[in-house]
Amino acid sequence: MFIRKYSFWTFIYFALIVMGIFNLIPFYWMVTSSFKTESEVFSYPATLFPQNPTLYAYSKIWFQEKFIRYFMNSLIVSVCTAAFSSFIGAFAAYGFSRFRFKGKTLLMTVFLSSQMIPGVLLVGPYFKMLSYVELYNTLFGLILSQTTITLPFSIWMLKGYVDTVPIEIDQAAMVDGASRTRTFLTVVLPGILPGLVATIIFAFLLSWGDLLWALCLISAKAKQTLTLGITQLVGEFRTEWSTIMAATVIATLVPATLYLLLQNFLIKGFTESAVKG
Amino acid sequence: MRIHDRYKCYFFILPAFLLLVSILGFPAIAAVLQSFNLVWVSKPSFTLSSYGRLLHDIEFLTSLLNTFIFVSTTVSFHLLIGLGIALLLNTEVKKRHFFRVIAILPWTVPDVIGGLIWKFIFDTLPGFVNAVLIRGGFLVEPIDWLGRPHLAFSCFIFAEIWRGYPFAMLILLAGLQAIPRQQYEAGAIDGASALQNFLYITLPNLKYMFIIAMILDTIWECRLFGMVYSMTGGGPGYASQVLSLLTYKHYFQFFNTSYAASIAVVLAMVMLIISIPYLRITMRREI
Amino acid sequence: MLLIVIGLILSGQPVKAQEIVISYSDWQLAQDIWGRSLREAIAEFERLNPGIKVESEPVALAQRDVKFTTAIRAGAGPDVFALDVNPVKQYIKEGWVKDVTPFIEKEGGQQWLSDFYPRTLMPVTEDNKTYGIPKNTVAMVIVYNSQLFREAGIKSTPKNWKEFREVCKKLTKATKPGGPVDQWGVAFVLAKACFDLRFSVVLRGFGGDFLTPDWKHSALNTPEAKEAFNYVVDLILKDKVMPPGVAQVDCNEARRLLAFKKTTMKIGTMWSITEVSGFNPDLHGWEVLEMFPIPQKEGVKSKIRSTLYQKSIFMNPNTKHPEAAWKLMKFLTDKKQMEKWFVDNNMLSCRKSVNDTYGPILQSKYASVVKREIENAAFLPLIPQWPECLETFRQNLQAAIAKQKTPDKALMDAHNQIEAILTRK
Repeated sequence: MFIRKYSFWTFIYFALIVMGIFNLIPFYWMVTSSFKTESEVFSYPATLFPQNPTLYAYSKIWFQEKFIRYFMNSLIVSVCTAAFSSFIGAFAAYGFSRFRFKGKTLLMTVFLSSQMIPGVLLVGPYFKMLSYVELYNTLFGLILSQTTITLPFSIWMLKGYVDTVPIEIDQAAMVDGASRTRTFLTVVLPGILPGLVATIIFAFLLSWGDLLWALCLISAKAKQTLTLGITQLVGEFRTEWSTIMAATVIATLVPATLYLLLQNFLIKGFTESAVKG
Repeated sequence: MRIHDRYKCYFFILPAFLLLVSILGFPAIAAVLQSFNLVWVSKPSFTLSSYGRLLHDIEFLTSLLNTFIFVSTTVSFHLLIGLGIALLLNTEVKKRHFFRVIAILPWTVPDVIGGLIWKFIFDTLPGFVNAVLIRGGFLVEPIDWLGRPHLAFSCFIFAEIWRGYPFAMLILLAGLQAIPRQQYEAGAIDGASALQNFLYITLPNLKYMFIIAMILDTIWECRLFGMVYSMTGGGPGYASQVLSLLTYKHYFQFFNTSYAASIAVVLAMVMLIISIPYLRITMRREI
Repeated sequence: MLLIVIGLILSGQPVKAQEIVISYSDWQLAQDIWGRSLREAIAEFERLNPGIKVESEPVALAQRDVKFTTAIRAGAGPDVFALDVNPVKQYIKEGWVKDVTPFIEKEGGQQWLSDFYPRTLMPVTEDNKTYGIPKNTVAMVIVYNSQLFREAGIKSTPKNWKEFREVCKKLTKATKPGGPVDQWGVAFVLAKACFDLRFSVVLRGFGGDFLTPDWKHSALNTPEAKEAFNYVVDLILKDKVMPPGVAQVDCNEARRLLAFKKTTMKIGTMWSITEVSGFNPDLHGWEVLEMFPIPQKEGVKSKIRSTLYQKSIFMNPNTKHPEAAWKLMKFLTDKKQMEKWFVDNNMLSCRKSVNDTYGPILQSKYASVVKREIENAAFLPLIPQWPECLETFRQNLQAAIAKQKTPDKALMDAHNQIEAILTRK
């Protein structure tokens, strides 16, 4: 796609910059608020730039609130959820895409409809089940719950992407003597890398931003997730705005970095050898 | 080889199937049973009275309407903006990876916290929007964004559009990247213009991912209540109340478990009915 | 794979064989000052009871009921926990709190309970069974900035609502000459958080109330309720003595407005002093903030004009260590702890012996106003349907303020909807 027209590229840059501004305005507010003192945060009218910038909020997070612990917990839970969900989902997506069997549509619809019931109603019974198997108040129980929530979405997304890989490619590989599994792993999966990245990010963000499940399934403070920790800054007597903003800024850096990494290493690395050329 | 093959499919699907049935099956069924007042209540007895009450409840009916408006507006904008940005990011502009990361940033904010932030932004006295407008000289008296019913609802929709469009964008971008380059090259040989490329190559290839994005986003927006909970709490009055938030209120604040369950079941039914035709379209694409 | 292993390792819980471990959950554990005070108390408890270890589980106030009810419903949950008054009757109804009458009998039954104000036992008792121990109680009063009052030349605090309105109008002005109005008389809490305690005092100050005294019917169709409702709506829309955006003001916001001199009054109580002063040290809150009782309309005969707040401690019916849990409950509410609690957090106890004899309480200017007001205060309706009734009322009030409905229509709607809720169950 070598379009040399100068105006074309200018337009694209301009549009992307507009998008950037649109996306980043709330982040501007978040970042500037995180550097303001508590009293300045509430001035009327608000100041557009911190008058007396301070690192108080960030130091509070670092030293007082045990946020590092929450951060690690969130990281573990979200990475595992993303990994499990995408992996199991990819397998299932391949199965749904390549094989015909009775009840396929019904099964996929049932999978999806399980997501149509709000989490509010599912938490209670799920908790009960978890406590039977003594997985209550464990990170593993939380990972399990979030994997199951993201799974139907992952399957549906990945199936769509697997469908775009022509079946002839499978057949070519199998004629060469590869088993189904091998075909899936070495031929189909690389072909859907952008879609896989999208699914991984989706599952990660869902787990990262989840509040209800983390709140109900975890009771020990040491095992809380980052999102839960941030919402607890809205207390009965104090809403620590600058700390909330600071923590959120830090929290959003992780998925952004993950996305960047996934793009650089997964997609860039494999695009050269992709079957589609 | 064929028989072997047929059973192989179960091998692929089994882990997902086991997880979903064992872990979600029980809660999902329990949720439906709750709406009939059969489980998890102090005096179980089968009754449809919860559903009957729904029809007379103005708050429920308003929330239903609000949910329709909210979901249809938000999803439409998500898809539109998402498609536009995906197209932009699929070109070979320099630093596109950088722009892609910026593009998903709104989505990285958890919905409850996003609600808090937008509430702060639209706050009447110390808020960002009023600060810009007042300092810029456009306003003298601050606008009560979240205090006027229609305005509050619109602000909420706007905030959710901001937060959620990267989801659609990500799906569509991956879909765009899956379109084989040969098709565009063939088009170039035939002398097709950019518009023709878009209409006859891009869109048809993207059709299924577009529908999938639409269905998933709809389900997603119906379920979420974190943003509205933090931002307006459903108010003022119940001008910005949506069904997911109403379910939450009845379940955890008023402890009307069977009523909450019946609202949730109605919501699920609505989602199912709307999405089934589209689901079938995607399933119809057989390899 | 490595991550999975790490995850599994970190998710295990170490358990010491001989020690009994009980958990205590409280939203005040999440606060700076109150949390520290509670933790000190718990450490003291562990010192006095060597075989028992207590795990504190803070929870945000807004998330408290979600967390507790989900856990208790499923057979788990903290062994001992604290609740304010609002959801207690629901918890009792659903069986989410343990009946502690047997424990009380062992302590001496009625004799032991006699130290508590009889009124404070109402929320925790049902059918002659006691389900929890009262801990702290306060009544709502008006907290005001005496310095701003003096500067505006206001000599005496308002005794009735007419004077209240006058004072508000006088204090709503622009602090910088020629600038926009940036100081307002008062800010009422109209958002969901903490709405119940604050608004009710206006209703009661006019002689009205939400429900009839037997809590079976709505009392919003009385002329007193109508007058109070219209009064508040007029204060906001006609007199404009409240800051713009007041419909979203919650208790934190109201405190902050007072702390930064955007308002001169708020409906508050003992904790307001601590918290408002904490927001803005430059205010010198402990010197400048004073209290006066809730204004009452002239000619109103009813004694009740204010609302009571109460925090009580409960036991989980699923607990595996009821004896240890009872010990903790008893400890947290005994005389010595209540005295410490006042010193740390400026909160009155539910025990007569503490409130009437403890030195610092008797000397505190705030405690004397609030203590006296307790006599003129009552609880909000102690019925399971109350949270829903309250929310219905609040939504209609907001609709009136947003001019979606006329005040009279909004009040009528609230009345009818609350009647429907009450007659439903």
